[in-house]
Amino acid sequence: MKDDYLWDKSGEPDPDIQKLEEILGSLRYQPQPLEIPEDLRISRRQRNYVPLLAIAATVVVALLAGIIWLSVRKKEAPQELRATAPMIPAPANKKVNVTTGDKKDPVPPRPAEKVARNPKPRNRAYTSVAKKREREEALAAKEQVLFALRLASEKLNLAQRKIQSTPPANQIKNQHRTG
Amino acid sequence: MKSFFQRNIRMPLFAALLIITATCVVRAQDPRIQLASLDHLAAKASQTVDVSIDERLMKIAATMLSDDGDEKAVKKLITGLKGIYVKNFEFEADGQYTAADLESIRTQLRTPAWTRMVNVNSRKEGAFEVYLMLTGEKVSGLAVLHSDAKELTVVNIVGPINLEKLTQLEGQLGIPDLGIEPQKPKTKNEEK
Repeated sequence: MKDDYLWDKSGEPDPDIQKLEEILGSLRYQPQPLEIPEDLRISRRQRNYVPLLAIAATVVVALLAGIIWLSVRKKEAPQELRATAPMIPAPANKKVNVTTGDKKDPVPPRPAEKVARNPKPRNRAYTSVAKKREREEALAAKEQVLFALRLASEKLNLAQRKIQSTPPANQIKNQHRTG
Repeated sequence: MKSFFQRNIRMPLFAALLIITATCVVRAQDPRIQLASLDHLAAKASQTVDVSIDERLMKIAATMLSDDGDEKAVKKLITGLKGIYVKNFEFEADGQYTAADLESIRTQLRTPAWTRMVNVNSRKEGAFEVYLMLTGEKVSGLAVLHSDAKELTVVNIVGPINLEKLTQLEGQLGIPDLGIEPQKPKTKNEEK
């Protein structure tokens, strides 16, 4: 008896084998789509956006800080030049602008100041110019402070004198005739 | 089930609102007043004085003040100050500035942080207003408004200032008199 039937189903089949084939045939693989039961289905995981938002916020804050820092640096540079502006008090009928803060100065900078704007000193000549400029700036600031304090003092004293010279409103009302 | 907004945005939003509110409160208590609204008066004025000294310049100025005489007193006075801002306009004719110009300054001084200490009106010499910002018992800001028919002055000092010492500065420092003191009537001896 040949065993070819076991290999390629040719030749005479063995009755025992045929019987086994019939029994196990019901369990044969039958192609069909996979169906997962409803209770076993895993819900779709939602993405957590918090870390992304935190990163985006950090980037925005860093950018804003950079912009503010750059703008402050730009503002500070012209301030150094403006400090050498002409001093007060000025002659009559002339406008005096001694702004040293955050206002634009219409007066164009002098040529010597342009040289001193370079932040990196290169030689001794530059250092002496820078020191001279710093001294001028300090003197100008001092004069401005003195002038401002003087003006404030004058106005306060004037107000004080006015208060002292003004009689109280009910002074006469409260007087009584005698005799 | 809570929405994405409720879970992730609500808390940062509240935090941001809190920060903004705190910033507004701090700004309302800033002793520096904005004087830029008066800048347009410079075109009408015959003389304008605009002093703007920030903390950095104040420190630089302090280094130039000597440690003896009147300058010593000034040095002590400006120690700790964060800024002095002055705008003074003198006009040749009356009515060059409006009530709205003054109101733009007064509005900033009407906050609870400021207290009006002096309010004097004089026909000859105009109106004087002195405002103080008090932090505890210390003065942290001063504002003086003087409005005359032909003159408008605003002085704003930021930082702790000793008013007594400030008033004593008049007639010192070798700075020429600004000529705002009222003239005294001549005595009989002077007339002779």
